[in-house]
Order: sequence, then C-alpha cells, then structure tokens
Amino acid sequence: MAEDLVKTIADLHEEEALRIVEERLRAGEDAFKILEDSRNAMEIVGKRFENREYFIPDLVYSGEILQEIAEIVKPKLTGANEFERLDKVIIGTVAGDIHDIGKNIVTFMLDINGFEVYDLGVDVPAQKFIEKAEETQARIIGLSGLLTLAFESMKETIEVIRGTGLRDKVKIMIGGGQINDEVRKYTGADAFGTDAMSAVLLVKDWAGEK
Amino acid sequence: MLYKIDFEPLGRRGHCPDDKSLLDCARQLGIGILSVCGGQGKCHSCKVQVLTGTVSEPTSSEQDAFSSQELEDGYRLACQTYPLSDCKLRVPSESMTTLQRTQVEGVEVAVRPKPTVHAYHVQLPTPSLSDLRGDAERMLETLHHQHQIRCSHIDIDVLRDISPQLRSWKWQAQASVRNNEVVALGPWPSRQLGLAVDLGTTKIASYLVDLSNGQTLAAKAVMNPQISYGEDVINRIYQVVKSPADGTRLQQLAVEAVNRLIVELCETADAEAEKIVEAVIVGNTAMHHLLLRLPVNQLAYSPFVLAVRDAMNIKSRDIGLHIAPGAYVHLLPNIAGFVGADHVAMLLAIEATQAKGVVIALDIGTNTEVSLLDDDKITSVSCASGPAFEGGHIKDGMRAASGAIERLRVTDNLIQYQTIDGMPPIGLCGSGVLDAMAQLYLVGVLDKGGRMTQNHPRVRVRKKQREFILVSEKEQEGRPAITITQQDIRELQLAKGAIRTGIQVLLETTGHSEEEIDQVVIAGAFGTYIDVASAVTIGMLPSLPLTRFRQVGNAAGMGAKLALISRSKRTEAQAIASRVHYIELATAANFNPSFVQASYLGRYRITHGKRKEID
Repeated sequence: MAEDLVKTIADLHEEEALRIVEERLRAGEDAFKILEDSRNAMEIVGKRFENREYFIPDLVYSGEILQEIAEIVKPKLTGANEFERLDKVIIGTVAGDIHDIGKNIVTFMLDINGFEVYDLGVDVPAQKFIEKAEETQARIIGLSGLLTLAFESMKETIEVIRGTGLRDKVKIMIGGGQINDEVRKYTGADAFGTDAMSAVLLVKDWAGEK
Repeated sequence: MLYKIDFEPLGRRGHCPDDKSLLDCARQLGIGILSVCGGQGKCHSCKVQVLTGTVSEPTSSEQDAFSSQELEDGYRLACQTYPLSDCKLRVPSESMTTLQRTQVEGVEVAVRPKPTVHAYHVQLPTPSLSDLRGDAERMLETLHHQHQIRCSHIDIDVLRDISPQLRSWKWQAQASVRNNEVVALGPWPSRQLGLAVDLGTTKIASYLVDLSNGQTLAAKAVMNPQISYGEDVINRIYQVVKSPADGTRLQQLAVEAVNRLIVELCETADAEAEKIVEAVIVGNTAMHHLLLRLPVNQLAYSPFVLAVRDAMNIKSRDIGLHIAPGAYVHLLPNIAGFVGADHVAMLLAIEATQAKGVVIALDIGTNTEVSLLDDDKITSVSCASGPAFEGGHIKDGMRAASGAIERLRVTDNLIQYQTIDGMPPIGLCGSGVLDAMAQLYLVGVLDKGGRMTQNHPRVRVRKKQREFILVSEKEQEGRPAITITQQDIRELQLAKGAIRTGIQVLLETTGHSEEEIDQVVIAGAFGTYIDVASAVTIGMLPSLPLTRFRQVGNAAGMGAKLALISRSKRTEAQAIASRVHYIELATAANFNPSFVQASYLGRYRITHGKRKEID
C-alpha cells in the first residue's frame, strides 16, 4: 500500500494518488504516515529531475499533487504530528539579477526535503538577507544568480554580511548554472552548487553539523 | 588522460587524449584544419590560437613558425601541440578548410535613394594674385555659388589633403556633403559608396552599397571574432567588468573584422575604401556599446539601463574604421538594454509602421527579440533563448558550417538527413537540432514533456542518460556517433520555451489571442533555415496555418541598408524606437506559469499560464 502511493506520486498519477490517499484515510490510517510517503515520493521526483528524466513542469506538477494531498490530510493531523522542520534556510536571487526559475526549484526541493525555507525573491539587497537571518536565526543562506554578472553581486552581498559580524554564524552557499569553485573562492562563499540537488545535499550536510 | 577541446569560432567540442595532437583531435571531430605537409610541422598551415588551457611546450618547428610575441599570444601549430588540460582554441579562418555558412541575404525593400550624404560637382575658380582665398573657403563659397549649398566647414582630415588634391584634379572636384559639412572630396566624377553593417553577437554581415542608386554591390559576412571572449553578450560584458583592458580588445576585434570585410567587399566590387562616404552599423545594445566603448557594466544588472539610446553620428576614425577619413558612422537608436538597434533595423526592414493587423516579428538568436505590432503600437520583449540554436550547449551541436546536419527526418528506423554542402556529417546546427526534436516527438521517442522513452532501437544509455543515435559509429566509419541526448532536449526546451513565453507575454499584455495573429515574421540566419513546421510541432511558435509565417532572412542587415540610402528611413527608425513599449519579460505577469507550460512539446494554446492542447 505504502509502495503504491510512493510510486503513484513519483510517477505523477494525480487522480490515482488522491484516490489512494482517500482510501487510506477511510481505512483509518495515520495521516502523518501518508505525508511521510508523499515526502518519500518527492525524493524520487527530485532524483528523476537530477537525471534529466523529469523537467520543470514535472516538478511543478508534483508540487501540485503534494499540495492537494496536504489539503486532504491536514484536517486529520493533530498538532503534535505536524512536520518537524529540519532547519531554516534563507534563499534569494542576489541584487541586480531577476532570474528565479533556478532559485524556485531549489526552494521547492529544500521544502520537500523538510527544510523551513524563507524565499526572499529576486533582486534582493544584502541588507534583506541580514535582516531575515537576524529575525529567523537561520544558519544557512543561499544566494542564487543566473548571469555571470551576479558573481560580483554575490561577492558584495557576502562582504556586507561579513561587515555585520554575521559571517561566522552562517554558512553561505551560492548557486547558478555558470558557477564553479573559482567563483566560490572569488565571492567568499562556503560552498557552491550548479543544480538543485547539490543545494539539498549541502544543506543536509550543514544541518547535520549541529 | 582525456581533455575537452573547444574549437572556436566553429563551436564544435570534443575530447582529445593527451597523446593525440590538436590536429588529430580536430580531424577526429571532422573539423577541416588545413595541413598541407600532413602534420610534420613543416608547412605552418595548421595555425591555431590557444585561448585558454595549457598545452605542450613549443617544438623547434613552432619556434621557426612564430615570433616570440605570437607564441606568447598562444599561436601554435595544431600538428605539433598536445593538450595538457581542457582547452579552448581559436581556429583562424585561413587555417580552415570548411567555410562557415553565414547568411547575408534578406528580403529587399524598394526605396528611392535619398542618402544623407550628397555628391556635388564643383568647378573651382583657379587662384591668382587677385583671388587669394584659401582652398577651403574657395570650396565652400563655390559650393554655395554653384549649388546653393551652404556648408559651414570641411572635415579636418579632408583639409589635410585639400591643397595638393584640388591642384592635381585641375580644380574640378566632387564634394560629398553631409548636412552642413564637407566629409569627402574626390576627383569628378567619383563613386559615392556606403557601408551597411549588421554587427551580430555571432556573425557580422556587411554590404557595400552604391549610394547613387541604392544597389548592393557586394555582401559578405564573417563570424564575430569576439566569440573567443564569450558566446553571449553577458559573458563578453563580464569580461569587460573583470578586466577593463579587454574592452579595448573586444572593440578592436570587431573593428578589425569590419575592416577586413571592407577590403573584401571593395575587392569584389572593384572599388576603393576611400570612396565609402557613410556607414550605418546596427547591433544589439551590448554590441553597440562595446563597439563605441560605452559603459556596459550597468547593461547586465537589473534594471538593465543603456548608456545611450538615441541614434548617434560619429566619425569613422573615432572607432578606427578604414573608410573615407571624414565619413560618419550612423548608429541607429536602441530600444532597451536587451533590445538594440538591430531590432529597430529589422522593424524598419519589415515596414513595421505600415503593418496591417496583429503581427509578431522575431529575430531568433542567442538573445531573441520579439515585437508585437498592432496598429501603430509596438510592444517588445527580449528572451534569453541561449546558444542552443547556434549549436551551443548541445552535445554534438555546432554552428552552421560545412558538414552540419541542417535537416533531418525520422521514419521508423530510418534516419534521413541533409548536411551543409553535402559533406559527411560532423554535428548538428540549430535547424538540425530543431528538426531532430520535432521528429523524435512525432515518432513518439519524446513524450510531450520532453522525456526520452526507451521504445526505439536507436535509443541507448550513455553516462547515465538516454540518447538517440542519429548517426552511429558504424555509419560514421569509426568517427564518434552523432547523438541527441536527454540533456540536449532539456536545453532546447528551455530555449524554445523562452521564445514561446515571450510571444505569450506580448499577447497577454496587448490583450490578443494567438488566433488573432495575422502574421509571424521570422528574421535572422537561424530563422531563415528552420523548418517552420518543426518549430510549430515542438511548440516553439504558436500553432497557426503555415501560410501565416514569413521568413525574411537578415532583416537587420536590410534595415541598416535602408537607413544608409534613405534619410527618411532614418527618421522612421527614430520614430519606431521611441514608439516601442518595452516589457521586462522576467517581471511580467504569468511569466513563470507560462514558461513552465511553454516547455511542453506539441500544439497547444496558453492562456493565463494554463495550457490547452489543440487538434
């Protein structure tokens, strides 16, 4: 049964997935268990995306399915059973860059992997990252940028963060299709990634260091 | 050890073991580098320039072939050089056996020539002790006297030669007058020539025009040598931001290329470069700014503001162009940071101001500019379609040159293709890539989401991803197979999705539906060679009857030519530029949902971010 739901969601069969969820709830199953299956399915979706088997629309679709399942099971959840969020991550596209498709995918992937994500949007000035970090006490910041020019902006953002004394308290990762280790060194970030899965792995790694 | 070698400006990439020379590597990939001596280091014909990466030390025959400066600049003989890391090479055109196909033709628009520069026959009175006027004043006053033309001055470079010239011409001269300035003098009668240039990111097209009748005497194009500094404008701007000295180098590269074109054009037309009395150059905003050495930094950061928008007139010598020394270069106006004078020129060439109904006009390239024309309104967007259609970021992609697969059909197990110049296939150019995607979708190898299924004998798995074999190793007689990978398809989906989203955003902003589009005008080299049906099949262009599509060739070049021969067309260009309403695509309503839907293959309509399949 669990297998079925995981596979059905991972294969993006919306109606079938919703039917199984309803059935299991009727059979009196724990709503939390259903959510856990959904999360496992999303991990498979993430892996397929990394293998290029799935593409952006598939991710969006899987997100919609997850949303629908969440709405069905939410009334049955007791407060204690809420998802325990793993760690807080602040993410945004740096100042001067307005591309957000890559960043949105990272946000999505972190979210389905159980992290509490604060997405600040695009063209985000350094100050906003700092304010949010102070407000939420998040320990991880992700800076996104598509254009090569965003490297300059990432460097500036990290310098501003350093200036506030916050630098030692947070881990900073940068992401974008054109980024490599040279860029990481140039900007002064702790780590980099060129795809969404590497962001998830980095955050898991850092969160585990606690 | 295997290294990745990138051959520019061809854009072909491949892997080379460290015990194979760069020449062998090129041969294996089917790239024609000249080698008269067969790789013994004797003939020095296989010159390449190493742009990045490390290679073996120069051999003694290379020490003979190059000066120490050339060696320092990275010049090497491909047959003598072995890679020691991933490398990027420039293959100079003289070292190439395969010539790049560059498209210069466009649909001509008839216009009555009325150029900015006008020629007058001047018969000057001979100076004498009773007529001691200076040669310049003599010229200006005679112009007024004989032609009622009041000029205020003569260009300084013209003045530097005026005295001996007027005397050698026996006081019989032809004056080229632009507004109130004499920009050139010649013996009477002389040809009055003009130069139109479309300075593209990938390609530079040039036209030598007879200003008296508007006829094109010669047309030539080359690859833009700036490619070595980055395939797209963003990377070139980044180079300049990182190292300002490269800004000068980029400008020089463009000017040197245009100067070489001028020499070739003049040879073809049996003309002299000094007879070129006016030039018009169009390019996208970044190319425009780089050419003039204007600041480019701010172009690449939101909100993407240009340094100069309006049309400009500068002296040719200010950018080092080798035409008549006093001649002007006219630069058509830009529209916005990512929509430049080349798009204005294109709109001029397709007579945008007189368009009837709803017209979509697009110039497909690394950056795709799209305009929607509706009555007297023009709305434009710029889509970052990326280099996929130039063959970039595609495993076996290449630019349109000899041996590139440009058309492809798949029926059952049979693959039929046509290569440029009928040469053995070495890769896929943009139109071939587009065909491959459409064909694989039609035969069911790709589902509508773009996923490659395993239901075809030609699908195999390499490096953990599926790929479709277009030409197998066996069919290639030992050379690497030509395939299209799942990753390639994803790249293309991003590229074509960006274009479709651009069209979609324009329609929604102006309140039109796809069915209301009366005409889709496709300009640019890639746009000329594509099979429109394939573009519709993959959902890159809206599904409309094929009769509504019109491929117009290099319209930007044609627009530059119009602005060269007609003063009123220049005024019209300025009017177009100021009329355009520019939309920043990434911030448009419904951009993200539309983009997601536009990455699907097949025929469909998109309304407010929702996709509905048709047929």
